[in-house]
Amino acid sequence: MTDARTSAIFRDGTPLEPFIAKPSRLPPPRSLGPFAWARQNLFASVPHMLLTLLGGWLIFTVLGTLVEWALINAVWDAPNRRACMDQVGRTGACWPGVIAWAPNLIYGLYPKDQVWRINWAFLLLIIWAAPLWMPKVQSKIGIGLAIVLLFPFLASYFFIGGGRNAVWTLLVAIGATGLIWSVLTATSETLKGTPFLKLVARSLGARTAEAEVARGRVALAGIFVVGLLAILPLEFREVPTRLWGGLFLTLVISGFGIAFSLPAGILLALARRSKMPLISVMATTFIELFRSVPLITILFMFNTMLPLFLPAGVEVNQLLRAIVAVCLFTSAYMAEVVRGGLQGIPRGQYEAAASMGLGFWQSTALVIMPQALKIMIPSIVGNFIGLFKDTTLVSIIGLLDLLSMSRAVGEDTRWLGLFLEPFFFISMIYFIFCFAMSQYSLSLENRLGTGQRR
Amino acid sequence: MASVDLGKMFSRGNSFFNNAIIRSVFYQALTFVIVAGGIWYLVSNTITNMSQRGMSAGFDFLDVSAGFGIGFTLVPYTESDSYLRVFQVGIANTLLVAIIGIILATVIGVFLGLARLSGNWLISNLARWYIEILRNTPLLLQVIAWYFGVFTILPRPRDSVGWANAFFLNNRGFYFPRAIPQDGFGLVLVAVVLASIGAIIWVLHARRMRNGRGLILPVALPALAIISVVPTFAFLLLGQPLHWETPVLQGFNFIGGSSVPPSFCALIIALSIYTSCFIGEIVRSGIQSVSHGQTEAAKALGVKPSRTMSSIILPQALRVIIPPLISQYLNVTKNSSLAIAIGFPDLVSVWMNTSLNQSGRAIPIVAMTMAFYCLVSLSVSIVMNQYNRRVLLKER
Repeated sequence: MTDARTSAIFRDGTPLEPFIAKPSRLPPPRSLGPFAWARQNLFASVPHMLLTLLGGWLIFTVLGTLVEWALINAVWDAPNRRACMDQVGRTGACWPGVIAWAPNLIYGLYPKDQVWRINWAFLLLIIWAAPLWMPKVQSKIGIGLAIVLLFPFLASYFFIGGGRNAVWTLLVAIGATGLIWSVLTATSETLKGTPFLKLVARSLGARTAEAEVARGRVALAGIFVVGLLAILPLEFREVPTRLWGGLFLTLVISGFGIAFSLPAGILLALARRSKMPLISVMATTFIELFRSVPLITILFMFNTMLPLFLPAGVEVNQLLRAIVAVCLFTSAYMAEVVRGGLQGIPRGQYEAAASMGLGFWQSTALVIMPQALKIMIPSIVGNFIGLFKDTTLVSIIGLLDLLSMSRAVGEDTRWLGLFLEPFFFISMIYFIFCFAMSQYSLSLENRLGTGQRR
Repeated sequence: MASVDLGKMFSRGNSFFNNAIIRSVFYQALTFVIVAGGIWYLVSNTITNMSQRGMSAGFDFLDVSAGFGIGFTLVPYTESDSYLRVFQVGIANTLLVAIIGIILATVIGVFLGLARLSGNWLISNLARWYIEILRNTPLLLQVIAWYFGVFTILPRPRDSVGWANAFFLNNRGFYFPRAIPQDGFGLVLVAVVLASIGAIIWVLHARRMRNGRGLILPVALPALAIISVVPTFAFLLLGQPLHWETPVLQGFNFIGGSSVPPSFCALIIALSIYTSCFIGEIVRSGIQSVSHGQTEAAKALGVKPSRTMSSIILPQALRVIIPPLISQYLNVTKNSSLAIAIGFPDLVSVWMNTSLNQSGRAIPIVAMTMAFYCLVSLSVSIVMNQYNRRVLLKER
């Protein structure tokens, strides 16, 4: 048995090839770790290598120039633009102009001693909207509706101020009621797991569901009285809308646009899909007319023709004209988005809803819309982003929005010709708002699982 | 319980008010009355207001001489021309901006879309952030920034940035040579038309061969060759009947050649860069929408990669790409109205602003402007619907 293998032969006499181990193959290239990653994603082939180098050079030049201009060579403290130019010329940014104008860029010409009203209104909005992101709160739809429908009254009074007649007082008090109700509901639902009104009704001795509703109404009336009492002593100085401006005005216009356009768009889309020919034709005409002309023509039209449309003596201020134009324009676009979402709902859903005995409005609100809205989230948010960017157009008809305030910096005698820096600053503001919205919509899409689920 | 009448159980009685047709007629009549009443209210207010202010809504002003100059006109125009001419000038300028903007945006957008899909991490991320930054800032801001930040602070004509001694960029605008056709240039154009017809015949022939005999002939290269060679040949044969007039610096400004103002450059660049971001995303999502199985199936059948792209991926991707692409083209047309912010004389600027302020004829002017934009988007959407019907997935 010295070498059994070499002597092994097949039965027909052919000798078996001796087994000689081949040299072991090279290990496969590493597929983990930064170097392997770089090889696969950056230097896979010669063209990729060249592209990577080109990209790297581009990033280096652009970022380098930007950092050098905005940070390294920048001037942070100077009395006027001439001083800036004397120090660095055009090679560095002149930030003192932007810093000096920052309050105007944000609040416009709003009186400085009244600016706290704007801050308070936005703080109230944050308090009001915070429950929407709290996991234990159940009445999110109610709170959201309350914000969209009631916050405008409260905010309008904070922003405009001035004397109140009875109706105005009532509306503002209803706004305050909504705020108090939302906060109390969110608190009680987080702590006890029951809506506030139900909790109060039970403590008032309600045993049945009907009694809970009835006592709940009493509790709501109580909240209204509290709201009214809170509103009555408030007396704000009137600030005319022509002083509104900056980021504040941009947010006001887009806020109104968002709050108005979604419900209006839903109604228009339903009307367009309606089987009643007259309603469908009217909705289609409105939508197509407003979608086929540029926003600026609509703004111009409302600016020049609204005074003609209304009876003599009725004055509509310019801000309101712009808001009306923006709202109508956006709702036409929103209607098409909603229509697209409705088309994505299979027929079976309508039939199932009908067979459950639901009427048109019930099946729309309880079965169709919740599904359609989910599909539409990306397009709706896309529309909101478009609206936010489009508010810049009101600067063309003479409103002092963020863009026109930033142009005013370069027309100030101290900062004459300072355009790039304010533009850079406000484009960052616009970018942060729009990018945050689009990222939030992405995360919402992922959470609701409506994305690419095919 | 054998004979329960389900209809009777669920209906609330066959009363007059529950009849679907009667309800539908009632709702429509109600809506119509409300809308018509609203419109009648607005119209009657307008008529009273206009008669009080002595305004008229007629179109008779169209023949009146406008009396103002326009900085950049594509069609011949002088100050003494009529308002109708101003309208035409505005339309021509708007269409010029739209067409050039669309071409540039498409070219940049396709590159961006392909860059987004690149296997190279750096390139795809570069494209991604380029798109994110530019599409998340307002277009009007970009237009104004290009205008005030770049084109108005360019050097004076004397120190202008020149290229090949024929193209010049300065703070008065962009100057480039003008082609002046000489005798016989018409024949070159005829050659172009004939060559195009020839190329189309070749393409059709190749398609017939492919469908009939399974013979695959080269298409793109011969067609391009026919289109490029024949007119060039005719051009040379006729002794180059085209004269290029280059701009020349004389005194403080350039004379000769053609030029476009800085506002035009700023508008075109901002518009095409902004729109290209959206087009890039459309191209990317279109190509990604074709499932990977299609590529694998083509590979399994032994189809070449280039042919997989041109005959399998692209036709399916285009079905997804074209509709949003067309709506972006419409957006370019509408967004060209931002010209008013930097003083480029487009339709909105010369017609809805200058002419309206001068003549005071708000209603006819607004109506004409809106009619133009409606006409453009209506005709595009008719073509669009035809196309959509053709490429719609034919299922079952």
